[in-house]
Amino acid sequence: MLGYTVRRLLQFIPILIGLVTVLFALLNILPGDPARMMAGPFANPDVVETIREEMGFDRPLWVQYLDNLWDLARGEFGRSYQSRRPILGDLLEVFPKTVQLALAAEVTSALLGIWLGIVAATHRNGWADRLIMTIAALNLSFPLFWLALMLQIVFAVFLRLLPPSGYGSGFDQFVVLPAVTLALPSLGLLARITRAALIEVLGEDYIRTARAKGLRGVLVIRRHVLPNALIPIVTTIGTDFVRLLGGIPIIEVVFAWPGIGKYAYDALVFRDLPALQASVIVLAVSVSLVNLAVDLLYAFINPRIRYV
Amino acid sequence: MRLSIRESATFDWRRLLQARLPLVGAGVILVFVLLAALAPFIVSDPTQIEMRRERDGETITPPFAPNARNLFGTDQLGRDIFARVVFGLRTSLIVGLLVRGLSMAAGTLLGLISGYFPTIVDSIIMRITDIMLAFPVILLAMTVTAVLGPGLLTVCLALALVAWPDVARLVRGQVLAIREQTYVEAARSIGAGNWRILLRHVLPNCMGPIIVAFSMGIPGAIMYEAGLSFFGFGIQPPTPSLGSIISDGRGYITVAPWYPGFPGLVLTLLVLSVNLVGDGLIDAMNPRAARGRRNGHSAS
Repeated sequence: MLGYTVRRLLQFIPILIGLVTVLFALLNILPGDPARMMAGPFANPDVVETIREEMGFDRPLWVQYLDNLWDLARGEFGRSYQSRRPILGDLLEVFPKTVQLALAAEVTSALLGIWLGIVAATHRNGWADRLIMTIAALNLSFPLFWLALMLQIVFAVFLRLLPPSGYGSGFDQFVVLPAVTLALPSLGLLARITRAALIEVLGEDYIRTARAKGLRGVLVIRRHVLPNALIPIVTTIGTDFVRLLGGIPIIEVVFAWPGIGKYAYDALVFRDLPALQASVIVLAVSVSLVNLAVDLLYAFINPRIRYV
Repeated sequence: MRLSIRESATFDWRRLLQARLPLVGAGVILVFVLLAALAPFIVSDPTQIEMRRERDGETITPPFAPNARNLFGTDQLGRDIFARVVFGLRTSLIVGLLVRGLSMAAGTLLGLISGYFPTIVDSIIMRITDIMLAFPVILLAMTVTAVLGPGLLTVCLALALVAWPDVARLVRGQVLAIREQTYVEAARSIGAGNWRILLRHVLPNCMGPIIVAFSMGIPGAIMYEAGLSFFGFGIQPPTPSLGSIISDGRGYITVAPWYPGFPGLVLTLLVLSVNLVGDGLIDAMNPRAARGRRNGHSAS
């Protein structure tokens, strides 16, 4: 297990080098002179030249590329072209806010999705089941940015229940709309998986035994059904969390949530290569760590799986 | 999206036609395709500006609310939103098919090569897919359109570029399984060349999953195009796009909620319909299809 984990982590190093290479190539094809961007629109040509020399933009591209890789290898993210501040400090400020949003969204979707799935499975073919499964068919069909806009209209503009966008102190009224927007598209998927898993387990002999010995319905679900239906549910939560992280940049921009997705977006708009590559690296590493965690979790909840 | 469907020897047409939801989806798509194809003959000119209008003896200014002439209302310049949406649908459908065509072609070719020739080429292709799949999709697509310049064709290229690795992985997996089949061995033993075996025996036997992947990838392409255009990285005016109409309407949500509202509803309906048809295809191919196949690749 430990060997497996280490191997997975090591495999990620060439991928990161690839990411940096692709971004470096793309941003250097981009029209626009970083020295001029940093100096501002009305800067004196001498100032632009000085910045160019100071930042090393006058060196050959391959020197800049290797220098960049070497800096990253030492954990040196450099300074943002835009704010001139060390990027590491910026990331330490924005990343926890993204984690807050992602957790709030995943907890919302997991709790609601599993609950809807349980209701549907225990009232199989009843009206509640039909209603829930019809809603589940809408699963993932909403464009996130539009869903965000509609929820802003309803809950912020008309009902005035919640702030339309911005950041408060983390888990307060500001997180509700972005978290719900991120969670909604995956509710249906989770409800469907939970329902299917429960129905499968409900047909097992040991459930009949539990019922026959007089265990109450709620207890049967909690003690016998849920633990055994857990594997597909946890798997889905894991893959869903990865999907959710993919939607983070969009949601953060629309809701002005000052997390790493918005940071990356701003960096791209400003052609800020160091800031963009640092945030892409952090996002990519987070996604693969989540993937790894999910794989390890399978082995934990299903002892029949062994990674060697 | 990772699909794991082995064989498509039995495609159950009856099952597909009996299921109601895929048929409803197909019906909606048909209506949308007809609307988009016949757009100039059906709707008024989407660029027609109308700055004032008489109602009940009073002069009113746009945006006009939905009325008999403007089913979806008008924008701030009095342009008919229904007409703009219909032309935007055109773009969405073109993008969906073009992106999927490009990424399926590239992904299938690379997947075939990668799966059939387990050489250094295979490792290189797989490492490239690893790198591409590690990127946050929307950020990579934005960066590529920023580099190539905005526009319909560049958006399609950018989206195909982010979509092919999934296809290559899927096809490679299929090829790895098919390569060991006896009919491939038989073909080889009577002296068939590698490319002949690939095109005549391997490719036809992975067609099922390829068709499903084609249809299941269309919603993602359509949504990402809308997302890119919404953020100004995608299709630029005068080319209409549902994403840019919604983005234009953002500033009017309090006075004209129909402005961003209807284009998004149409977009949702389109994506939902394609998803329903895809679900139907999977069910028809494999009655015991894995539940929860629709995960990933629809983040936008």
